[in-house]
Amino acid sequence: MTVGSQVKACFSSLKSADATLGILANKTQSDQARDAFSDVQKIVSEVKDDLQKQVIRLSKEEPQYKS
Amino acid sequence: MPEWLNILLRSIGSLIVLFFLTKWLGKKQLSEMNVFEYITGIVIGSIVAFVATDLDGSVFHGLIAAGVWFVIPFAVEQVSLKNKTFRNITQGKSTILIQDGKIMEDNLKKERYSTDDLLEKLRDKNVFRTADVEFAILEPSGTLNVLPKKENQPLTPKIIGMTPAPEKEPQAVIMDGKVMLEPLANLSLNTNWLETELDKMDVSIENVFLGQADSDGQLTVDLYDDKIAVPSPSEKPLLLASLKKCQADLELFALATENTHAKQVYQINSQKLANAINLISPYLKS
Repeated sequence: MTVGSQVKACFSSLKSADATLGILANKTQSDQARDAFSDVQKIVSEVKDDLQKQVIRLSKEEPQYKS
Repeated sequence: MPEWLNILLRSIGSLIVLFFLTKWLGKKQLSEMNVFEYITGIVIGSIVAFVATDLDGSVFHGLIAAGVWFVIPFAVEQVSLKNKTFRNITQGKSTILIQDGKIMEDNLKKERYSTDDLLEKLRDKNVFRTADVEFAILEPSGTLNVLPKKENQPLTPKIIGMTPAPEKEPQAVIMDGKVMLEPLANLSLNTNWLETELDKMDVSIENVFLGQADSDGQLTVDLYDDKIAVPSPSEKPLLLASLKKCQADLELFALATENTHAKQVYQINSQKLANAINLISPYLKS
């Protein structure tokens, strides 16, 4: 696995975690839990966005491994 | 009127009267009653029994007697609800037996408690060393309540500075293979949701003896057929694990890269994610 694909894998795990957090925030009945879930979802999506830029940069650096 | 019919009517009548009298006198358990309430109960019971079986006595006289024994304790209770001094007289005051870790000998004498009695009551509360007690109070009902010294109190999340996630009561959404609609509605869920969740677990509703859903919408079921293994809810543990993995990955990328800008980005994000994990982990641990 190249670094690019590793970062890509991490990016997609984050994407899935982001979505799961969204589901949990919608499902829960407790306001406190909903706030916690959506706060964390915000952080996770910030990290996700940063990582996406990184994925793009890496795919430019390693065009031969582009999939 | 034949005698047997008379007894039948009297018994049924007194049964109904007794039912309502005891209902109005309140829900106290026998062990919580003081001597006065206890005796009142017995007296009302025997008066009613007397009315039911003594054919020579008049029902009306019996009702008067039962009425007096009902009205006075009832009135006393009502007044003592409002008035503290009156309550102290009728229900008694509690006595402090140990204060600031010191035994109050005078109060012990006043309550006619011997050292052995005190030790026995303390052992009842799992305290074997009086030195461990900060405060102990003898309630009017005769039970001793004990506040251990802070270092001897059980450890709670608050003491170690943990903030556990708040937990709401779970609702029983399936009982004996049938969907309970009201608990489902309490969680603002519907039968479609339930069917999907059961499909995910691959069980049919007829096979479910009891199913509970918690406030986060996780379903746990117990089946009639105990040989079938039911998967436990895995959504939250999986999420926590994948967040942790991502954080570790980011750290790894930060170490591996030689590009300073990328290194910085990875480090900042890994830190962010670590904070997020700290925030959310109480909610994801079940």
